[in-house]
Amino acid sequence: MKIRADILRIYQNVHTWTGVTTGLLLFIGFFAGAITMFAGSIDKWSTPPSHHLPQVDADQYDALIYRVLEQHPEALNGINISFAADHSPVTWYEQGGARGLSLDKTLWHGTLNEAGELEAHTSYINELSSLVDYLHRSAGIAGEIGHDQAGVYVLGVAAILYFIALVSGVIFLLPSLVKSFFALRDKKGASRFWLDTHNLIGITSLPFHIIIAITVIVFAFHDILYDGLGKLYGDKPLFPSQAPSAIEYKVENLPKLEVILQKAKDYAPDYQVKGITLSRLNSARPSASIQLLSDKHLMRGPEADYLFMNPYTFEVSASSVADDAQGVWGAVVTTLFGLHFGSYGGEFGRWAYFIMGILGAVLFYTGNLLWLEKRRKQKQLEQSKSTRVMGKLTIGVAMGSLLGVAAAFAVTKWTALTTININVVYMWVYYLCFGFTLIAAFVIGMSKTAIWSQRAVAILCFSLPLTSVIAFAIPSLGIWPATAWSSIGLELTAMILGVIFWRMADKTKHRAYYGETNSIWFIGQHQTECELQTQSV
Amino acid sequence: MSRLSHADKIQPDWWGKTLAGVILGLALSFGIVGLFAWVGSDGLMDTLTPARQSWRTQFSMWIISPIWLLILSFVFMFKNSKQAVLWLGGANLVVYVILFVVRGMV
Repeated sequence: MKIRADILRIYQNVHTWTGVTTGLLLFIGFFAGAITMFAGSIDKWSTPPSHHLPQVDADQYDALIYRVLEQHPEALNGINISFAADHSPVTWYEQGGARGLSLDKTLWHGTLNEAGELEAHTSYINELSSLVDYLHRSAGIAGEIGHDQAGVYVLGVAAILYFIALVSGVIFLLPSLVKSFFALRDKKGASRFWLDTHNLIGITSLPFHIIIAITVIVFAFHDILYDGLGKLYGDKPLFPSQAPSAIEYKVENLPKLEVILQKAKDYAPDYQVKGITLSRLNSARPSASIQLLSDKHLMRGPEADYLFMNPYTFEVSASSVADDAQGVWGAVVTTLFGLHFGSYGGEFGRWAYFIMGILGAVLFYTGNLLWLEKRRKQKQLEQSKSTRVMGKLTIGVAMGSLLGVAAAFAVTKWTALTTININVVYMWVYYLCFGFTLIAAFVIGMSKTAIWSQRAVAILCFSLPLTSVIAFAIPSLGIWPATAWSSIGLELTAMILGVIFWRMADKTKHRAYYGETNSIWFIGQHQTECELQTQSV
Repeated sequence: MSRLSHADKIQPDWWGKTLAGVILGLALSFGIVGLFAWVGSDGLMDTLTPARQSWRTQFSMWIISPIWLLILSFVFMFKNSKQAVLWLGGANLVVYVILFVVRGMV
């Protein structure tokens, strides 16, 4: 395909600048996002089994809820009922809600003992998956604006540039696309290999990236967009206002749980009920938020579809389950949510999204490397300042965030031996690792930092299965080994990632000491011209 | 293909085109979506169930940014920033005049 040279040059510039300014933010967003695909497995892996209390029989839930509400009135504001086998049957927050990252949320777990009495204990919620989710949504940029993290808006702006980078990248790739689409030339020098990798990933996962860019922008700026739309609507309301109910509902009149469940089943016959959260039970606005699971449907939430109903009247106030009222509008909106979260296709879908997320991170990392390779001076040792700073930033930020997350995973089970609040530990560990790596990149240089940090990530990854081995060998330590399939899968994945990072460190080392002498990575012995002459003589 | 003379070539005009794309592009996408909200199917003049109306509004909000992003991505195709401002400004004028007329008829 032929495109005018002046257009190509302009879009090459657009691509370079939108890419290089957002690459590192998106790198963190993507690899952390890939990990959040397994948030459920991570929670299971990182929570000591003793935190959860045994499940109760199906006919005991009503009695259990009654006991909890009687003895712990704060649960009237929100009580979660779970039907999962390895989860406490009921949980409620003493303070704070389920959403967002908060370090000292106290969660109560409750169950019934054999005598039918309430047995309850509190525990800190392990926020490991929330920490990863926080990185995913904010790239670790702290601070809050309005009701959202400042980082969310930063990533929203980054996503705008990222969309432009996608379009411009495709435009200036088009002329050579047919010729070299599947070419992965590893014999023509490093930069050609990085370029081919970058192009191949970019083109094959283009639809995924377009969806991610658009959804991230909407997630960040929906309030502003609704405000603007409201102006265009004039007198018409954006959303139908629900007349406030005059009736004050009382928990004494709460229908039996099985009745509520039956109503949910009637509404969404193909779905399984994962859990129910009952909120504001003694009020005019009571709500039952029912989490529905299905592998056959595109689910709107990250892990489930939702159905909100009044638990007393069973009146449905909102739902993300496909029905006639949605029409094409609801179908499109729900699909966009589902396509961002990858909440379809069950386990296979999760893996596919995990891989695409990782490939996305690789796309941005290789993009930065390409920029560095292109700008570096071919025939001289001293490289320009912008190249050196960008090289250090790339390694510092990318490896720092990876190291921080790997370290948070690695300390999880060992910290549980102490009484320290694990979530505070996570924050310190993450930001210390991140800051340390970033500073190291500027002090000792990008190559050395890349080598040691890749080795460190590998070792931390290896430590996860090793911890399980130690736990099995010395049960008296009190560490819980991975026994569930999902936890074993997590540790095996960590091991594979460890091997990959170790090999990357080997390659980086080789390149740094024995590779091209005028590359930005090179830190080996320079042979001066004088020495070369003496040798040839 | 003959070489393009300097006058035929696209001028980068980074700031002008980017600003035109950001401001006029955003205004235009709001205008297009507003028009679509009023006269499109299941529009604001129709009587809808609360659920359907809510989904319709969500849909309208969702399509603003893709339209804007496409304008912003292709704004650099204009020959110079003046052209970008004229075309996008003109399109805005047309869309908002129609929107004004449509809303006046209700």
